Parts: sequence; structure tokens; C-alpha cells
Amino acid sequence: MKRIFFSFLLLGAAFIVKAQTADEIIAKHVEAIGGADAWKKVQSTKYEGNVKVQGADVSVTLTTLSGKGSRQDISLMGMNGFRIVTPAAGWNYMPFQGQTEVDPMTAEDLKEAQDDMDPQGKLVDYKEKGTTVELFGKDDVDGTECYKLVATTKSGVKETFFIDPKTSFVIKSIAVLKANGQEVEQASMYSNYTKLPEGIVVAMSIMLPFGEMNITKVEVNPAVDEGIFKPAK
Amino acid sequence: MRSIYFLTTILAFSFIANAQTEINSSTFGMMEARSMGPATMSGRITAIDGVAADGKTIYVGTAGGGIWKTTNGGASFNSIFDKYCQSIGAIAVDPKNPKVIFAGTGESNMRNTVSIGDGLYKSNDGGSNWRKVGLENTEHIADIVINPKNSDIIYVAAPGPLWSKSKDRGLYKSSDGGKTFDKILFISEDAGCADVAVDPEHPDTVYASTWEFRRKPYSFNSGGIGSGMWKSTDGGKNWKEGKNGLPPKPFGRIAFAIAPSAPQNIVAIVEAAETGLYISADGGESWKKQSASMNVVSRPFYFATIVIDPNDPKRVYRPGYGFSYSTDGGYSFADASADGGWLHSDHHALWINPLNTNQLYLGTDGGVYISLDKGATWNFVHNLPVSQFYHVAMDEKKPYNLYGGLQDNGSWVGPSAAPGGVSNANWKAINGGDGFWVQPDPVNPDIVYAESQGGEVNRINRSTVKSVGIKPQQGATEEKLRWNWNTPIVVGVANKKNLYMGNQYLYKTTDQGRNWSRISPDLTTNNKEKQKQEESGGLSADNTSAENHCTIFTIAESPLDEKFIWVGTDDGNLQYTRDAGKTWTNVAANYTKAGIPAQTWVSSIEPSLYDKNIVYATFDNHMYGDHKTYVGVSKDMGKSWTMLKSEEFTGFAHKIKEDLKNKELLFLGTEMGLFASLNGGQKWFRMKNNIPEYILARDIQINPTTNDLVIATHGRGLYIVDDISPMRSMTKEIAEKDAVLFPTPPLTLTMGQFGNGGFPKTSGFVAPNPVSIPPIKYYLKERMSKGDIKAEIYDASGNLIQTIPGSKRKGINMLNWNLNMKPPKVATGGAKLDFGALLSPMVLPGDYTLKLTVGDTVYKSILKVVHDASNKDFTLEDRKLQNKTAMDLYKMHEELAAVVDVINAKQKLINDNLTKVKDSSLKRSMVAYNDELEKLRAECLATKQKSIFADEKKLREEITEVYAAVSGQEAAPSNLQIQRVTVLQGEVKKKADANKQILNKYDKILMDGLRKEGLSGEKKGF
Repeated sequence: MKRIFFSFLLLGAAFIVKAQTADEIIAKHVEAIGGADAWKKVQSTKYEGNVKVQGADVSVTLTTLSGKGSRQDISLMGMNGFRIVTPAAGWNYMPFQGQTEVDPMTAEDLKEAQDDMDPQGKLVDYKEKGTTVELFGKDDVDGTECYKLVATTKSGVKETFFIDPKTSFVIKSIAVLKANGQEVEQASMYSNYTKLPEGIVVAMSIMLPFGEMNITKVEVNPAVDEGIFKPAK
Repeated sequence: MRSIYFLTTILAFSFIANAQTEINSSTFGMMEARSMGPATMSGRITAIDGVAADGKTIYVGTAGGGIWKTTNGGASFNSIFDKYCQSIGAIAVDPKNPKVIFAGTGESNMRNTVSIGDGLYKSNDGGSNWRKVGLENTEHIADIVINPKNSDIIYVAAPGPLWSKSKDRGLYKSSDGGKTFDKILFISEDAGCADVAVDPEHPDTVYASTWEFRRKPYSFNSGGIGSGMWKSTDGGKNWKEGKNGLPPKPFGRIAFAIAPSAPQNIVAIVEAAETGLYISADGGESWKKQSASMNVVSRPFYFATIVIDPNDPKRVYRPGYGFSYSTDGGYSFADASADGGWLHSDHHALWINPLNTNQLYLGTDGGVYISLDKGATWNFVHNLPVSQFYHVAMDEKKPYNLYGGLQDNGSWVGPSAAPGGVSNANWKAINGGDGFWVQPDPVNPDIVYAESQGGEVNRINRSTVKSVGIKPQQGATEEKLRWNWNTPIVVGVANKKNLYMGNQYLYKTTDQGRNWSRISPDLTTNNKEKQKQEESGGLSADNTSAENHCTIFTIAESPLDEKFIWVGTDDGNLQYTRDAGKTWTNVAANYTKAGIPAQTWVSSIEPSLYDKNIVYATFDNHMYGDHKTYVGVSKDMGKSWTMLKSEEFTGFAHKIKEDLKNKELLFLGTEMGLFASLNGGQKWFRMKNNIPEYILARDIQINPTTNDLVIATHGRGLYIVDDISPMRSMTKEIAEKDAVLFPTPPLTLTMGQFGNGGFPKTSGFVAPNPVSIPPIKYYLKERMSKGDIKAEIYDASGNLIQTIPGSKRKGINMLNWNLNMKPPKVATGGAKLDFGALLSPMVLPGDYTLKLTVGDTVYKSILKVVHDASNKDFTLEDRKLQNKTAMDLYKMHEELAAVVDVINAKQKLINDNLTKVKDSSLKRSMVAYNDELEKLRAECLATKQKSIFADEKKLREEITEVYAAVSGQEAAPSNLQIQRVTVLQGEVKKKADANKQILNKYDKILMDGLRKEGLSGEKKGF
């Protein structure tokens, strides 16, 4: 009897010490952000927010229509810039430093920007999207021990996600971007996770290298006029 | 009393006691260390490999600074190995899949200060992520070679431990991409594998050299019957020793290279009774000795690199003491030119860009150099902060200066802060040779004491850098003086006029080294068996004072009594005097009872600031093959000792430091990490927060004025943790709370201690400055993932003047308020940004209310803002006048913005409806209305020239010119600036009036007309 009890103890211990797989960690994460069902319904999003630069507000709007287009609008002192990505073309226009004409994206930049058109993010339904994920054990993110997962999308873009085991939220990601012909790592920190009426949970604060972006309004599945995915100054 | 102070000064938001919160590095959150470099002298480079396909992605391994990666041929570097062992022996990039990198830890240039590794690591993604794959006990890895035709096959040459016998030495092979390794060549527990190469055309042909070597604390031996040159033609299953044409054994270390483009050709430097260069033209079957210059054959144990051009079998490079190259396959050598600047001596790594073999990357004791002409001339890489300090000291200047000596890089001084950050150019060399202790004279700020190896100490004038030798000399009745490689020079703590040095005796001077007194007998064991340094080296004589033994290694004057002096030796003695040297007591036997081995190096002694009876010491036994961390404390003046232990500890101990204000706070530096204890050494944690986790922390100091923790590392330069006050006040009780707001000290109004010089630094490493204004600090028990944190600052009248988003990091968070209010709302819709208008005026002195919102709860505290009385050029009256003037201009911006807002709204309304309007008369009025508005708008702000190279200046920009000048400087406004305000006020009023006139003229027509046509413009327009 004692022996059986002991076996159960061992069995229990085995369950406790069993390392989580990347799959399990992502499944928990997706559950924490509202569940796959809620997210699969998300076909378009519109986020509005602002970034404080020296106390001045830079307003940012991010509109995404699944597979059709993505557009970021940035506005400061009545001056407006944008970044547009579509399956076939993309453009940047950032007049703040004197840019006077809209810049079309290079083929390489466009290829890497294709994931911008996914309003669900890289981890929801990742296998179906052709993304592979590798778990690199745990890593310290500003004092919080997180699971470290490297996701590689179908287009070959790599992004490292750090998931807090206590909350299953992504608290940091590192994207590998191409800038001026070089690979550059850009870290973003996520917080202020908030549940929306649609059931999904999103980070309303995103710390970027130049400041914190605070999301003030989120629309889920808004009607998006595809006309906005064309450049016009 | 202290606890009452805390209760009254700390605001606790809430208190939920869950599981006990552990105090560790994460508790101190944003208290991140500043990496100070410098990179001006850089440090020892041990391995370089690059990506053949692009020729500009290069990995650099260092002696104590981890791995650095450049993707642009050296224009910039990132450290990519900060969480692992920092001593690197070898790096290999997979030729077939260059994202796969192997890194062997544990440098193999077997000098006295070489550090050990903890195995072999692999990355599959160009160094972003690493996994350890084995060979944990090899301690040193000299080379890694990947079969160019089969990435699964990897050879790793492990010389093995330097200080002890080991079965883990030898040549290892993996046939499964690094998952498992087999030892395929093992000679003995004394002889490991020093070099390996694979024939690129027939990769089953493998060459290896084995090496017998050993160090003791007092001697070095390179050479023995275990050294040899080996060849296998079946991938390492069977080996044949090469002898034909080689000198008689025993050999020492053998470095060799295959010509990649003609692999039958091999060159080898064979350390032997007569070290020589040997050439084989038949794949190592037979060898021929060639005459060779001193550089080619010098110090084989330390210079173990020889490389042949990837495309030209005749072009042979020998990085050694200097840099030599041959164009005839090694028959003759020329030396690099000094044109283009001095090339640091002592070379250990060379990578040739196969896409452009003119381009060479060389690793030296003083950093990386790049040649664009096949090694004839060299350019120094200025951005690798891998400097190897032994010790650090500070002066009392503001900002304080940092002083320290470095491996093969002399002694330097540089500031802890400088305009635009601390760059290479801010550092000044003050002494040559290898540098160790450097002490600024605390009494005379013009004087510095610095030394080179073996106690060659100089008194140096800081301004002229002229030096005077002040090394104590042997007295008539004294034995030959024994100076340690790293001879202590120590300034008194109780009496700053005292300066101490030691060999086997202790000396003191009170007149800057003009006169010394010997104040002790021989304090060492004086064991003659450990004093045969002149026989050291093995096959090649090598005694550069590095093996000097039975010497004093550490000296400490009690902060409480100048007559109470402690001395530790490298052979285990720990002695003190209480009468300034008349009598001495040896307590060595006492510490061994606590479990600390005898004969260790007493690496540091820390007599307590709080109690004469308390003394801390660190003990280093690694030279006997024991790398454990030994730290002891005695509370009865050395009679009995307790070992301070922790599971966190890694690496042998270099330094223990007691805090200057909290006796419970201790810091420990080891060969593999920096640690802190908040409870007198009972519990320790590894300090991270921007400090590499296994950093070689050699010395620790605390600045008594700024409360900064300064760390000297042997491979990552200096680090500063600014203001450790939160570590002093952190308690278990605080750590258990969900959130705590710490009191903010009075905030002095300043725009920083420096200007920026107006021009960015062009190249090289730049260390950041500390913040000029103390941050608002709060503590969070856990990282906050739900809910937001926001700080709002209100003036005395309750006006919201600034909003700052709050960080949500676990541990201590810091908010930086620049003591400014929000920028004004400025006129929008211009052709360019008006950057000057993003400035905001500094607030006036007074009490401000901080409202911190954490999730759903709001907490308040008072921020006391005070005038900077130290700035004599900017009085309080000046400040008030500046603020008034700046605020006049601020309001002016907002008034003009209001006018332009109306214009913009009206123009939008007109433009939205112009095509819809049917009445042609209304349409004409709308066009005229718009034209007049546009004319006015174009006078209000720059609307035409988008180029940043065109200075279109209208009223907004005119206001900004004065506004930016007045609010952006610490000075009273000039008479003409004040006069200009009045003029501009008149201009703003004119624009407002003009706007009213235009509105009066057209607006009723427009609005009536739109209403008539059923166009509900009013709503849409506004």
C-alpha cells in the first residue's frame, strides 16, 4: 500500500517536473489572450494611440485588414506620415525629417513586412500559418524569468518571444529587422493587457526603443476601406 | 529611530503578504550598471572567425569579455555572450551554414592570469541564442574545426587544465553536429591537444598537435614527452606521430597551419630545445627546418597562431610578439610597418577575409586591428570595450575620475562623466607596461602613483605625465626583494597621507615615495622551494615576474586606526600589526580551521569600517587547481573565521567590499561573477542588471560622495552602478510589499552638468553619463502586466504640468522628470516640424505634487524642487525672469496655435464643401475666403518649403527662435530677447485681428450659404 502511494508520489513529481513544450506554452499564451476561437474571428483591427516624445504627443493609428493590407499613420504638429504594406507593394512616407516624396519599399523589405497584415499576431494559429517555433528554455527579462521562444515565419522572418510563465503573456519580443542593408534587432516590451468586449486580450502599452506607445482605442473587425492601402501625401 | 524614518518616508500602496519574496538582482530593477569601457586600449583577443560568404560578419572572442559580433566589417560590434562564461578560447563558423557557430570557452594562451571556461557552446542563429553542448571540464579550448564538407563532423582541441592533471584533455570529435563528443586523441593527464586542422580536400585527413604543460603559482613548464605532432587519415581513428625532419623530442607547444589552397603544404612552429619553424610539402610526412626571425619563434606558449592565405600557399602570416608575413611559403619573413600607427604587440588570432584576402582581422593583447594591405599596415578598432583591469581607484573630483591598470595596456585615467558621454578620447595613458594598482594621491590632486609588473612604481604628475621611479630598494642586510606581478600599492584609509607597498616586506611612505620606511620583517612563508623563478618556462625560458612568489599580495589599513594594518601574501599568510609595524601576528592557521585551504593567495582583505574586530578576506586557491569561492569573515581580529558560502557563487574570489553606510551590505567579485549580500554575507545573489553574469570582477570600490559602486573587470572594462542607496535601504519588509514609493530627494533645477559640444562623436565606444536629476523611484514586487502606471505632476495651484508614463518592471523602477512642464501647443499644419517648439520651460523652485496612478489606485507625494545655488552665473532672480519670459513666449505659441486652429478648421470646411456647392456666387466667396485664410496662414507659420535645408521663417518659427533660446539655457534672457517678446506679442495680436477681420468678412456668407444648400458644415468643420 505504502509502495503504491509512493509510486503515485513519483508520478505526481514526474508531472510537476515535466518541462513544457513550445506548443504547450503557446497554447497557454493564446488562452491567456482570449483563446484561439476569439482570435480566429479577428479579421481586421484598428488601434489608435500615442507616443510621448519630450512631453509632446505623437498620435499613431494602425489599421490591419487580414491578408489585404496594413497601414500605420503617424501625426505630429499636424504633419502626417505613413507606412503601408499590401501583398504586392509597400510604401513609407515620413516627412518629419524632411522627406518630401513617398518611398516605395524594396522587394526584400516588402517580403519581410508581409506579416504586418496579420491582425492576429504570429503566435495565434502559428502552425497553420507556416510558422515554426523553437523553445530556448528560460531567460531573464528585466528580472522576470520567461520562456524564450524563437518563431520563424513562412517568409523567414524571425521573432523571439518572452512569455511570463505566471501570466502567459508575452512581455517582450525581439524582431530582427533589416535596416540599411543590416540586420537590426528591435526589442518591444508589452504591458497593460486589457480584455476587449470581443473577448480578446491585447497589450495597451508597448515600449518601443523611442518611447512608450499607449493604445487609447481598439476596434476589432471594423469595416476597412481598402482604398487606404494606397499612398497619398 | 531608523525604522521610524522609514515608516514616515515610505508610502506603501498596499500590503499583500504572499510567498516570501527573494531579494536578488531583479529587486533592483532599473538600477542598471553603466558600462564605462574604455575601448581606447581595448583588451586581449583570443579568437576571430568570420562568415566567408559575406566577408563582413565577424565573431571576436576575448580573454575575459565574451564574444562580440559585427555584421559590418567592424564598424560596430554587439556583445552576444553576456549570460555565459566570458573567457573564450576558440570560435568556429560552419562553412556550409554560417548561422551555426561553435564557441569554446576557456582561453588557451596559458599566461599566469588566463581564465578558465566551462565547456563548448553552439548557436544555430548567428549567436542570438546559445546552448552548451558539452566538454564542461576541459577548462581550456584552443581550436574548433568543422569539416568543410560535412557540418556534422566537428573537432575540438582541448589543452585542458593549466593548474592540475586532468583526464579531460585531448582531441574531441563529434559526428552528429555537436550532440555528442568522443575523445579521439588522448596522450596523458598532463598533455592535451593544442591545435587541430583538417585537410579541406580530404577531410578525413586530420592533423593535431599535443602539448604537455603545467603552471604552479611559482613556476611554468611548457614541454615534455607528451607534446607531439600527429596525423590521421581516417578521421581520427588511427594516429601517426610526425617525426621525420622534426627536432629531437621533447617538444613544447606546436602551432601549425595548412595551406587551404594546397593542403599538402604545412608550416609549424615547434617549441623545442631550439624552437624552430618547420615546413612540410608532403602533408606532414617529412619536415624541413627554416631559419626564422625572433618574432616567428618567440614565446610559443603564448603566441600560438600561424595562418596561410586561403588562396596563396606562399603567403604565410605569423602573428606573434609582432606581426610577420612571408611571401615565399615561410622561407623568409618581413615585419609589419608602423605607418598608420602602432600595432599592439602580443597577437593571438587572425582571420583573413576569403572574399578579399587583402583584408585581415588581427587579435592582439590590445584589441582588434584591421589591415587592408595583407598585413603591411593596420587600423585599430575603437569600439571593443574589452579592457582588462586589475584594480580601480577614484579621486574626489566632480565628476570623479577613474584610475586603473590593465593587462599589457599600462595605466589610465578617465572621467566618470563627460560632455556627450565618456569616449575613448577622454581617457589618458599615464604609465606603461602591464598596469595594476593606480592610486591618485588623495592629498595632492596633481599626483598619481602607478606601476608596471614586478613593483616598478612611479609617482606621476597628472598634467605633464612626467614620472619619477620610487620603487623601494634592497637594504644591505635584506634578502633579494620579491615583487609580485601585481604588487599592491595602497593608500591609507584612516590616514590618507600613508602610502604602502609590499614585496616580502611592507613599506610605508608619507612623502610621496621620496622616503620609505620598511615596517615589517618578511611576512611570507619564505619557502625557498617556491622561489626558483629563474628556472621557469620549460623548454623556453619565461620568467617575466609573473611567477614571482612568496610575496605580499594585499595590504589594508583599518579605516578606524592607521596603526592597524593587515597584510595578505600569495603563499597563504594573513598578518596584522596594531602598532604600525612594530609587531606582527600571523592568523593563517586560524582561517584554515574554517575550511579555507592553506597556502592560498590572500586576494583581498577588508577591515570593517564599523568594528575593529571585524575583518573580511577572500582567498584564491585556483593556482592549485581549486576554483572554489573562498570568502571568510572574522569577528575577533582573525582568531576565528567563518566561511561565507552561497550556492550562487562561481569562480575563485578576488575582492570583498563592505558598504560605506550599511554594514550588512557586502559585495564580492570573483573570476566568474559579481555578488551582493544584504545581510552581512548570510545570503548572496548574483548582480546582473546590465552586468554580464559571469564577469571577471577583480576589484570593487564605492564612491563616498555619489554612492556609486565601481567595478573593475578583467575583460569588460569598468562598470558603475550609480547611487546604490536603494540597496542600502532595501529590506525584506519592503520587498514583500506589492509596491512602494521611495522618497525623492530634493530635486535641483539643472539642465545637466554638461553641454553637448554641439557635435556627435564620430566613432569608437562612448559610455553614457549618469542622470543629472535624481529619478523618482518606486518598487514593484512583480512586473505589472495588467493595468497602467502613470505619473502626473501638479504645481502648487493644482495645474497639471507634466505627465510621464511609468515603467512596470519588477523591482525598482525609475521615472525621470526633466523638471520641465509640458511643451506648448503650437500652430499645426506647417510644411516642416518646428522642433524648437517641442522644448518646454523648466519649472520654478517650489513644492510639486506627484500623483502616481498604479492600476486603479492613485498615490501622492511631494516633490521639492530647488534652485541650483551652485551655478553662480544663474541666480534665482535670473531664473524667475527666464521663466516669465519663456512663459510669455509659451502663451504666445498657444495663442497663435488657436488662430491657426480656426484657419485650419475653416479651410477644411471650405475644401470639404467646395465641390458640393451649387451657388456660383457662394463658391466664389468660398474661394476668396480660402485664399485670404491661406495668405494669413502662410504668415503665421512656414507652409512652403519642406526641405530641411531651407529656412522658411514665419511667425511660429520667429517665436520659436526666441522661445528655444530663452527656455533652453541656464541664463537670464538678454535685453533684446525681452524686447523681442514685446514685438512678437504685437505680431500675434495682429494675426488674431486679421483672422477676425477675415471671419467677419466671409464667415456669415459661408455658413448661411452652406445651410441654404443643406450642407451641414458647422458640425463637420469643427
